Amino acid sequence: MSDFLKGNYDLDTIIQDDKEEVKDKFRENALNSIGGSMVFVEREKMIWDGSDDLKE
Amino acid sequence: MQDNLMFTQSFSNIVSSISDIGEKWHKSDIVKNNISNIKFMHKNINELHKSTEIKNSAIVVSAGPSLHYSNTLETLANSKYKGVVIAIDGSYVKCIKAGIVPDYVLTLDPHPTRLVRWFGDYDFEKNMENDDYFSRQDLDIDFRDNSLKQNQENIELVNKFANKTKLIISSTSPLNVVQRTIDAGFDMYWWLPLVDNPDEGNSLTRKMYQSSKLPAMNTGGNVGTAAWVFAKFWLNIENVAVIGMDLGYKKNLPYSMTQTYPELSGIFGEENISAEFFPEFENPLTNEIFYTDPTYAWYRQNIIDMINNTDSKLYNCTEGGILFGSNIENIRLVDFIEQNS
Repeated sequence: MSDFLKGNYDLDTIIQDDKEEVKDKFRENALNSIGGSMVFVEREKMIWDGSDDLKE
Repeated sequence: MQDNLMFTQSFSNIVSSISDIGEKWHKSDIVKNNISNIKFMHKNINELHKSTEIKNSAIVVSAGPSLHYSNTLETLANSKYKGVVIAIDGSYVKCIKAGIVPDYVLTLDPHPTRLVRWFGDYDFEKNMENDDYFSRQDLDIDFRDNSLKQNQENIELVNKFANKTKLIISSTSPLNVVQRTIDAGFDMYWWLPLVDNPDEGNSLTRKMYQSSKLPAMNTGGNVGTAAWVFAKFWLNIENVAVIGMDLGYKKNLPYSMTQTYPELSGIFGEENISAEFFPEFENPLTNEIFYTDPTYAWYRQNIIDMINNTDSKLYNCTEGGILFGSNIENIRLVDFIEQNS
């Protein structure tokens, strides 16, 4: 917010501009939709039964 | 046959960033759901190996636009196909309406409000408030004119038929999907999405396994590909065909009706959204032109890599779309059914 609009006195509360927050929220939702329905990075292993984990 | 399609640099940049985007925005939800669902996990997909009769062919019914513009569902319904039929959440009710009762239905997506509609949503109005994800797309034309009535019919259909199909449900599913499918009466088998290599340090898959102890299957980033993995690698079925796996749109569909148009235009500016974001390709079976978008292009590259890395073959009977490649045989569904009867 511009200093001019604050007037010539000090405020006890901190005023935040929520435009950036709204923009970030929109971008978050947008990226979420573009990001597909599931995390995916593995291209070789198709199934895993966890048996090696049980041995550890 | 071409595996790697030619894209512009900016299109490729978007596609290559999707893995990171997915991890960033879904990681906390899937870890949380994987734990909170443990109390519902009475059976897992290992149980299927004890009782399932082995068959040598399966048809996966994905939920792409061709289910509306082609006659593949009718072809399947009118056939005497004896193989395994696997639906996904988004195609399940369409199968029922076409007269097909699938052997299995898979669900994967962790979205907290959108997914439950595929099973009929008791909170439909609340969950769809300010969300036009489905209504602007061509994926569900039935819903456009009378969505509330359609939703109520879907609730009744799912309640009637649920006990005839095994639900293959991901541990990362949202609570409303879990509660709705329990309520409907599905026979439920749980699994864990294999989201990375469990042999690598800090594997998210291994971390989730240590909570739920479920066997894991790769997903390729979407439930249609997960259904193919389930058929091919979990049920060990030799010949697996897919229908409804378009991964693209018919050329005459406006860009504004595609799945991520608002997001792309929001990020890049509507004035900058051009054909560059929607590259066109000719389907080798029908010779029709289809265009794709970054998310579908990502799905396509994922499944092609998975097919090639496992030396597998996929029969694509979608009769449209952009899924073609060296180990993919695009054939008519009637021909696949005839070859496997």
